[in-house]
Amino acid sequence: MAKRYLILEDGSAYAGEGFGAGATTSGEVISNLNLLGYQETITDQIYHNQIIIFAQPAIGNVGINHDSYESILPTAKGMVVRDVTNISTNRLSRLSLDEFLQQHNIPGISGIDTRHLIRKLRQEDGPMKGSIVDVADAHAFDQLNATVLTNRQVDQVATPKPYPNPDTGKNVVVIDFGLKHGILRQLSERRCNVTVLPWTASAQDVLNLDPDGVLLSTGPGSPLDLGEGVLDMIREVQAEIPLFAIGLGHELFALANGAELTMLPVEYHGSSHPIRRIITNDIIYATQGQGYAVIAKSIDRDRLITTYVDLINGTVQGLRHRDFPAFSVQFFADGAPGPHESRDLFDEFMEAMTARREG
Amino acid sequence: MPNLDNIQKVLIIGGGPTEIGHETELDSATVQIITSFKKHGVRTLVIDNNPFSVALEEIQPTNMYVQAVTTANVRHIIEKDQPDAILPTLGGLLGIRIAQELVENGDLANFNVRLLGMPTTTLQQINNPADLNATLKEIHEPVIEAQVVGTLDEARGLVEKIGFPLIVKPVAPRLDTNRTVCDNVDDMFNALTQGFQQSRFDQCTLERSVIGYKEIEMVAVRDVADTEVLVAGLENVDTIGIHSGDSILVTPPQTLNDREYQDLRDATFRIATELGIVGVLHLHFALNPANQHFYVTKIAPYFSRGVALAARTTGYPIALVNGALLLGQKLVDIKLPSQYVKQTVIMEPTIDHVSVRIPIWPFQEVPDADQHLNTVMKAVGSTVGVGRSVEEAMLKAVRSSQFSPRDVLPSVSNLTDGEMIRQLIHPLANRILVLIEALRRGYAPEELSELTKIDNYYFVKLRHLLTIEKEIQDNPLDVATLQRARYYGFGDGMIARIWQTDTATIRHLSAQAKITPTYKMIEPTAGEFPENLSGYYSTFEYENESQPLGDRTALVLGRGGNQLGPNSAAEYFTTEMLKQLKRAGYHTILMNTNPNAVGVAPEFTEKQYVDPIQLGDVLNVIQVEHPDIVIVPGNRHYLTRELGKLPINLHVLPPDQETGEPAPEMATIGVSLFVHKQQKIAVGVMDMIAPGINKSLAQVTAFRMPAELPKAKRVNLVEQAKEAVSARQVTGMIQVLFAPKSDDSQQLVVVGVRPTRLTEMAFLSKVTGVNWVRMLTRQHIGTLDEGELAKISIDLNSTRVALMNAAFPFRQLHVLNRPGTTDQEVGATIAFGSSEALTLTNLSDTSELDQIINRTI
Amino acid sequence: MAKVVVDAMAMQRALTRITYEIIERNKGVDDLVILGIKTRGVYLARRIASRLQQLENVTVPVGDLDVTPYRDDIEHDAQSEPEVTATNMDFSVAGKKVILVDDVLYTGRTIRAAMSAVMDLGRPKSINLAVLVDRGHRELPIRADFVGKNIPSSQRERIKVSVSEIDDRDAVEIQQA
Repeated sequence: MAKRYLILEDGSAYAGEGFGAGATTSGEVISNLNLLGYQETITDQIYHNQIIIFAQPAIGNVGINHDSYESILPTAKGMVVRDVTNISTNRLSRLSLDEFLQQHNIPGISGIDTRHLIRKLRQEDGPMKGSIVDVADAHAFDQLNATVLTNRQVDQVATPKPYPNPDTGKNVVVIDFGLKHGILRQLSERRCNVTVLPWTASAQDVLNLDPDGVLLSTGPGSPLDLGEGVLDMIREVQAEIPLFAIGLGHELFALANGAELTMLPVEYHGSSHPIRRIITNDIIYATQGQGYAVIAKSIDRDRLITTYVDLINGTVQGLRHRDFPAFSVQFFADGAPGPHESRDLFDEFMEAMTARREG
Repeated sequence: MPNLDNIQKVLIIGGGPTEIGHETELDSATVQIITSFKKHGVRTLVIDNNPFSVALEEIQPTNMYVQAVTTANVRHIIEKDQPDAILPTLGGLLGIRIAQELVENGDLANFNVRLLGMPTTTLQQINNPADLNATLKEIHEPVIEAQVVGTLDEARGLVEKIGFPLIVKPVAPRLDTNRTVCDNVDDMFNALTQGFQQSRFDQCTLERSVIGYKEIEMVAVRDVADTEVLVAGLENVDTIGIHSGDSILVTPPQTLNDREYQDLRDATFRIATELGIVGVLHLHFALNPANQHFYVTKIAPYFSRGVALAARTTGYPIALVNGALLLGQKLVDIKLPSQYVKQTVIMEPTIDHVSVRIPIWPFQEVPDADQHLNTVMKAVGSTVGVGRSVEEAMLKAVRSSQFSPRDVLPSVSNLTDGEMIRQLIHPLANRILVLIEALRRGYAPEELSELTKIDNYYFVKLRHLLTIEKEIQDNPLDVATLQRARYYGFGDGMIARIWQTDTATIRHLSAQAKITPTYKMIEPTAGEFPENLSGYYSTFEYENESQPLGDRTALVLGRGGNQLGPNSAAEYFTTEMLKQLKRAGYHTILMNTNPNAVGVAPEFTEKQYVDPIQLGDVLNVIQVEHPDIVIVPGNRHYLTRELGKLPINLHVLPPDQETGEPAPEMATIGVSLFVHKQQKIAVGVMDMIAPGINKSLAQVTAFRMPAELPKAKRVNLVEQAKEAVSARQVTGMIQVLFAPKSDDSQQLVVVGVRPTRLTEMAFLSKVTGVNWVRMLTRQHIGTLDEGELAKISIDLNSTRVALMNAAFPFRQLHVLNRPGTTDQEVGATIAFGSSEALTLTNLSDTSELDQIINRTI
Repeated sequence: MAKVVVDAMAMQRALTRITYEIIERNKGVDDLVILGIKTRGVYLARRIASRLQQLENVTVPVGDLDVTPYRDDIEHDAQSEPEVTATNMDFSVAGKKVILVDDVLYTGRTIRAAMSAVMDLGRPKSINLAVLVDRGHRELPIRADFVGKNIPSSQRERIKVSVSEIDDRDAVEIQQA
């Protein structure tokens, strides 16, 4: 395998071995602390334009599986790992990670002291750009420094056209900001008749479909870049039908209801933090992936109730509207990858829709 | 559930002697639980008769019941001392069984004693598969349907329905394990006949075989408020069919996808909730790799090897946390010592390294045992390797498990192809070496996976190691190759052997090329938080996290994985020595690869290195820490010799058992002296008992003190012993051996002088109340005060008699029970009493000895 | 034959949703009081109150009503009407928004008795009804404002609600009579 480098904005360079695509890419460098689930992670659209450092040291062990895609077309910019195995014969695997990355033009670099990088990043204050390159020379650093990362991530990954995922149950409209498949799988398991709409859909577009409920999906980037239109849509829809929002959707739901956001000094991606469910005062674990957080003090208590909170960093992890059956969580309630206990929220959503119908 | 206010006194049921199935990990957890209880103002009573118990050193004599761990004795203590609660989860299956009997016979209710760790209903289910299965079915957890049978006829009638292979398991067995896989009716009848005898209810269960499924273990903790944390998942490399204690174990699991892993996590939590576990829960699952279906195969709500490994490999302080949980604290409220980041207890551990545990078997010492690995556990110990890749962790574990003084792996290249295939299908103790050999001979990973049911992934990893080995062979003395070899876990000794040079050359090359180890902390947040924990392992990367502890540092090398012989005693020795070094103001560092060792618990040392105890790795640690003293165990001759060549302050402790004069053929009396400068303190005069017909010294495995001799005779022997010692230049803990002058003579003469054996040193400490390990340590580090020593007076004629008897693994290994030799010992039991109570009428009668030791007080 | 129709998790969720709906409907928790109908309604009422406390950090008064001898879920003499025989509350309902909580809503007669008892105690601002299960078969024009789950049932069936405070678990089961 070819010697390649991970270079960072701060001038540091780390030598390793390339795998996957031989492309030279730049992106925001973030770390993922999940114990397993590299395929779900690399295919999750929230990593659009990001280079992911994996804490899990051995990657590729189970190849690529048909049921572990969070999107079919991954848009991450790279994988940084300690050790990678090319294996494709393991049970359901049809494809090795290496082949998969080549097909999608995503470079990987192995043999990196990922623990060092994670320890280093945690001390950073703000995002750090990086590149996976063949030569770590001045030119490469110039290129990196000159790279301006897009703020139109949602446009680049979300569906431009509506499409259905038919079933026989509740009518659910999913607004796609960079939807992860885990959400669709959870709705499918509950027999929902899903219509996925582009994120630019208006309240009229949503309500025309006469849905039982609407779900705002996860997605990449900053919610602040998406404009007022989507917030208007949320405000109008939430007053009419049950609404459930996850990840980026949660951040938008918060904005639509007067809360403010802050950018975290270091993005957090992992599933080890205890999250308190306030109403029952118990603790759950869920996969989290966030660069922004709702500012607790900015929450208008006449409009929103805080429902979940991260016990480690104190961030708001869930909100609920006071007047409507509309609620949101910051963490990934679909549990793909990661703990499953938060999948209960999809049942809550179902029951909210049922109550609305019957009520 | 209990709360902190109304539990003031807890009785811990000890684990008894070390045996196959549990080593010193129970002792280690007990020490930590006692510490935790103490912090919460709870008084701890302990019943145990393990003379090598460190826990018994940690409590006041008045709280200590050195008695056989039996239901009758526990009941007696309950009656006498009226504890508020009993804790059975530190005593292995024995503790669970005793607690169950106390529930069944109403003692717990009558004496108003609470059960800690789980509700009594759960306790009863743990030993009753049918009940347990019913509960699990109720919460939709898949179980293998077990049918209870009491006769061969009943079993015959079920055969058609279940189908072969099937598994026979005794109901409420008196021992751990004993699942037998049967391929035909004859096998089944044999297994049933044996099983009925082992069952407390003369019953067995029959169930479908899940042989070939992956065996995955999960270790979790739960509090009274139903908050649950999954501490670790463990993957057995060998599939169901080989006992998990005999399988190579990898953590975190490497060949599961996230969904499978999370499904098992869900199941673990549902079961913990349903069973109302408070504290630790260790589960086993059989996972069908073809369709991802799984079954629950074992539920162990108590401390075990798996729990110890989970704690060691994540840095999550399971035992400390458990102590608080048992007293009713919630996970969110538990406060840990300051080196932990505040929320560590409630964060689900995530780790950025790989650990591999490899078992160690006793077949060298017990050659007549069936050496096939199957559903009955045979391993007596294990070693763990930690690394940043599976290759590195695996190779480190293998290097540690083979006990090669020069760090070279043995070869099995002399196997014929036929033998090799046979051993792939019916594995023996050299399992890992045979797997490697098959790859060496060109078998493809997929083929081997077919043959062995081991996941293809592991063969791909092993083959990668062979590729690197080939690179080493092809590039002698090449620096880039050396870098790569070390990166993947090759030891200096291995590389030196391949390059036909010596370790010094390898180290010189490495130093020149700056190929230096980087030590990484073993901590449960994968680098997310600045934990300050004490466990480290080496790898060859960018950042080193281990900073030297500074002045006055002692580096203690452990003995590695447990083997037969004086190992538990050595473990006791090392731990007591570490405590003494700490007391003497040393920063203590332990290097050890035994995940079950007491000393590796963070309580005993400031730092632990989990790395092979091989010359290269030891020198690497010395280079980082610059210790003032290095202490090497007496059984590591090559290491001692090589380290002795260097300008370091080297001590050999525990002392080498092999030094001194040629051993006499036999001895009947041993006089122990502590020799320091001009002083010779008489420590004890004991009977050296060789149970059985053969009376050779190696058969001396029981001891009685004081010896059954007239008082004057004892005094006389002590005088003779002192003379014998004076004639020789020896110091430390010395034993002078006596034997009758001739077969028909009563006169005892000196037949030999040797360092007191480790087992006997522990015995002497327990009997005299003076910790001789600490004395010996102080002698070595020069802090022994002669005046203080002079004040020690030992009553050599005490009327309180003590008896110690070695325990052997013969029954568990299914070989003929017999008097064993010292190098076959797995543990020991101790008893105190009046001279009448402990009188032996026939020294050759082993069952009489057993009866006396295990008598009801 | 008993069939679990609401398991522990679902019961937790139902109570959670009812709690949120109470907040939605009442625009907060001001002037709220909760009255549980014995036996299981009392525990459900306490759970709702504890949820409100967690969310709003406000202690909502909880009381209970004992309605005897009549029980909705067993055969009864059509002549006898249920009546409230005891109340246990240390607060006044006058001017308050009362939430009545019961486990099963069936004929509605229990609720009617409960409502008259509440009215006798003082004039509340409003009375709302929250039930874990609405099984249908109403004999009076009564309707729950907050329903955990609608379980259309046969009159021959029995709906059994278990709560972990006094039973061994949380569950709703349908039993054939």
